[in-house]
Amino acid sequence: MKGAGGALSRAFGGGTARRGFDPWILVLVGAWAIVALLLIWPLWSVLMASFRDNDTGALSLTNYIDVFTLRSYRRAIGNTLLAGLGGMAGALVLGVTLALVTTRFRIRGRVLIQILAVVALVSPPFIGAYAWIVLFGANGVVRQGLASVGIDIPTIYGATGVILVFAFKFFPHVFLITSGALGAVNRSVEEAAEGLGLSPLRRLFKVTFPLILPSITAAALLTFVLSIADFGTPRLIGRDFNVLATEAFMLFGTEMGGNPGMASALSMVLIGLSMALVLLQRRVTRRDVYAGNLMRKPFVREATGWRGVALHVVAYAIVLVGALPAITAVIFSFRRTSGPVFQPGVSLQSYERVISTVSTPVWNTLVYSSASVFAIVVAGTLIGYLVSRRPQPATAALDGMLMVPYVVPGIVMGIAIITRFNGPPLELTGTGLVIVMAVFIRRLPYSARSAAAALKQLSPSLEEAAISLGYSPARAFLRVTVPLIGPGILAGALMSLVTAMNELSSSLVLYVGSTVTMPVRIYLAVLDGEYGLASALSSILLVLTVAAVAGAFLLSGRKQSSLL
Amino acid sequence: MSRLDIRTIEKSFGDVRVLKGVDLTVESGEFFTLLGPSGCGKTTLLRIIAGFQRQDAGEIVVDGDRIDARPAHKRDIGMVFQDYAVFPHLTVAENIAFGLRARRMGDADVRARVDEGLRMVRLEGLGQRLPSELSGGQQQRVGLARAMAIRPKLLLMDEPLSNLDAKLRVDLREDIRDIQKRLGITTIYVTHDQEEALAISDRICVMDRGVVEQVGTPFEVYRAPRRRFAAAFVGTMNFVAADSDGGRVRIGPLTLPVAAPARDGFQLAIRPENVVVGAPTDGDARGAIRLEGAVRKITFLGREAHYTLSTPVGEIVAQVADPTRELLDVEGRTIAIALPYDKVVLFTAEGDATPFGAAT
Ligand SMILES: Nc1ncnc2c1ncn2[C@@H]1O[C@H](COP(=O)(O)OP(=O)(O)OP(=O)(O)O)[C@@H](O)[C@H]1O
Ligand SMILES: [Mg+2]
Repeated sequence: MKGAGGALSRAFGGGTARRGFDPWILVLVGAWAIVALLLIWPLWSVLMASFRDNDTGALSLTNYIDVFTLRSYRRAIGNTLLAGLGGMAGALVLGVTLALVTTRFRIRGRVLIQILAVVALVSPPFIGAYAWIVLFGANGVVRQGLASVGIDIPTIYGATGVILVFAFKFFPHVFLITSGALGAVNRSVEEAAEGLGLSPLRRLFKVTFPLILPSITAAALLTFVLSIADFGTPRLIGRDFNVLATEAFMLFGTEMGGNPGMASALSMVLIGLSMALVLLQRRVTRRDVYAGNLMRKPFVREATGWRGVALHVVAYAIVLVGALPAITAVIFSFRRTSGPVFQPGVSLQSYERVISTVSTPVWNTLVYSSASVFAIVVAGTLIGYLVSRRPQPATAALDGMLMVPYVVPGIVMGIAIITRFNGPPLELTGTGLVIVMAVFIRRLPYSARSAAAALKQLSPSLEEAAISLGYSPARAFLRVTVPLIGPGILAGALMSLVTAMNELSSSLVLYVGSTVTMPVRIYLAVLDGEYGLASALSSILLVLTVAAVAGAFLLSGRKQSSLL
Repeated sequence: MSRLDIRTIEKSFGDVRVLKGVDLTVESGEFFTLLGPSGCGKTTLLRIIAGFQRQDAGEIVVDGDRIDARPAHKRDIGMVFQDYAVFPHLTVAENIAFGLRARRMGDADVRARVDEGLRMVRLEGLGQRLPSELSGGQQQRVGLARAMAIRPKLLLMDEPLSNLDAKLRVDLREDIRDIQKRLGITTIYVTHDQEEALAISDRICVMDRGVVEQVGTPFEVYRAPRRRFAAAFVGTMNFVAADSDGGRVRIGPLTLPVAAPARDGFQLAIRPENVVVGAPTDGDARGAIRLEGAVRKITFLGREAHYTLSTPVGEIVAQVADPTRELLDVEGRTIAIALPYDKVVLFTAEGDATPFGAAT
């Protein structure tokens, strides 16, 4: 190797010394190729498209001017912020409350609470939205029930509904992240504050929350990004509550005449919002929080009397409402239907319909998600290895690039991929491959991160020992490193499978008739009011999801917070 | 049985020159120790020999063959690591067999070699255990057996005992020494513990800041240091400043002729156990530098006592073996001491030992 290759192999000085080259260079080159092909190139195309006038095709700022001047777009931006901040606030309140109650008081059935929280977390994306409609929509069961006894409640539709759904959909993230942090707050610090005369409530705000601020802000960022990226919820229960994600999708759909330039500009604004929040969160958590090594576990109080009852009610109410959509979907999937209308009685009609007429989405989902997970695991493990074991500028930059998918909403990723692969040089639209590609690039960073984290726990001298015993670096990696990080990787793979099976937003942009996936089909069924079919499909998806999650938990020894 | 030649190895990390032209020869079957303070480049040199890092310049030659262009896994060099690096997913026996499998050795031979290895490191009967069921000392024994099993040309050990407690350290170092002698594998051992180096080595290489200061047997390094750094780093040493005085150096009341051109900055060195305390006022006055010292402190340690003395040439620590009752009562008094010429080493300002003539 001369020239660039030589320079590269010198940069890899941490590896083995030799004249030839380190096989990891191939991995580095391959990883950059993937990032360039699936991330930079498509996003670049969207960026370029956003500067293109839809009528003339000339480069211009028209789209951006429209975004910030036209009323409906300004409303969408405002609504997006409202939904994002509202969803975030709601999820924070619910999640932190639940975390406090369960870590500071002895609550009966903590395991059940955690399981319900996880069910809420992994329920297919807008099972939520649709189950809420079934319960609180115009003809919703609960609404009608209450109306028959003379109580009128507003329908779930609109901004309030969207925010409520987000809050109950995303609070488990907050719960899992902050309960870990709350369990690690040194009891002495809290006691010291009490000794200084702070009331319990003031102590909570003055001492405890600042101590777990990094976790709270991380959870807040996550829920905000998830909320503004969510497409199904505002679409199904927002009604005229338009957000950037729905606007971008509508503008992109060619059936409506379409305006790809405008859709691209809205996508860019959406990415911008996410990035702004990431930067904000970085600023807030700049201050270090010290973890003393003299750790005393927080004190867990008995919850007795009226206060005990109240605490139990709060905890169970939160998780039950959160898991309600999943539970509803399962129950409704067994109800008798006649066309779109539910009838009294139990039946397997909906499942029969799935088997007889809509089995394609089930197979597609299984095939696409296993294909993408396979690719994610292989690429993620290799990239995680590069990042943790071959520190040098090219890998650090790669790690940085892999931050990007965290802030790119699925709908935008879908638009980016279809924009890029809609025509020459690579025409892939309409294939299952594009759906796999979108899921792959969206979830690759999670897998790479968790592989890197697993590798950081492993001494580099293990591989060196194998090499000194006569194994080539590649064989040493396969014989020593892979078996050791294997269980962690597999657990991560199952969690990737969960997200891949439930991917809606990017698939919705990329699907055609023959490549419909389960989430897409559920979405279409709900839009058509075929709730029975939607329920049955949702239940199938839920069962697959729960199976994957259970497998992941078994493999990782039930350390769920490290998985999600 | 292999001989190793290291020729002018250079290595820099960025602007920092970590190895500055290291030249060494390790004889076949020798137990050779790299000794030096933290950060002096011991690990770097070892990793370059192993092939995990590449030198900027210089050659590594084993039995006349240059090996520095070969990848690490083709160098046939065994390694023992500070953190043991025992494969946690394999049993003790599988760990020991790991390198043999890479060499496609037959099953029967592997079993024989593994049994032999287990016996050698005294882990008989533990072959089916997983490393997590072993103590640190036992894990390092596995590391040793695993490296030895492939009968490497060279065995490299980077502070293999530094994670063990004191008692285990002594036990295991004796075993390492015995096994190495029995198999005759040329071994390079890294440590910054000078006592360990003295106890275990055939020869010691004292390094400082990427430079070889002195190579010699433990006796030579301790008794006849060639460099001031080696004298100071290995064991305890008294240093006394010596001024120049017309071609001679002056120590307290007397002057000595020196071979090197006498300049300022000379230092005279003597080990505490070589300082003669309570020397007779007459007798062999010619063979020693005689001084008076006020006894500031006596520390009695049973087998020996340490004296801290203020003398006209500075503070001197003396060590008296098996001290008598009378000698322990002299605190606060002034006593006579003698520094025998044959135990004194004189260093130039550059840090080189230089001969000096007896006083006339
Ligand atoms: N990969 C590296 N990049 C930059 N500097 C390095 C690297 N490896 C070692 N160094 C530097 O080279 C010098 C020598 O390091 P080395 O590890 O060889 O020392 P050592 O003698 O083994 O020390 P110790 O006794 O602490 O193990 C140190 O100053 C160290 O900081
Ligand atoms: Mg070292």
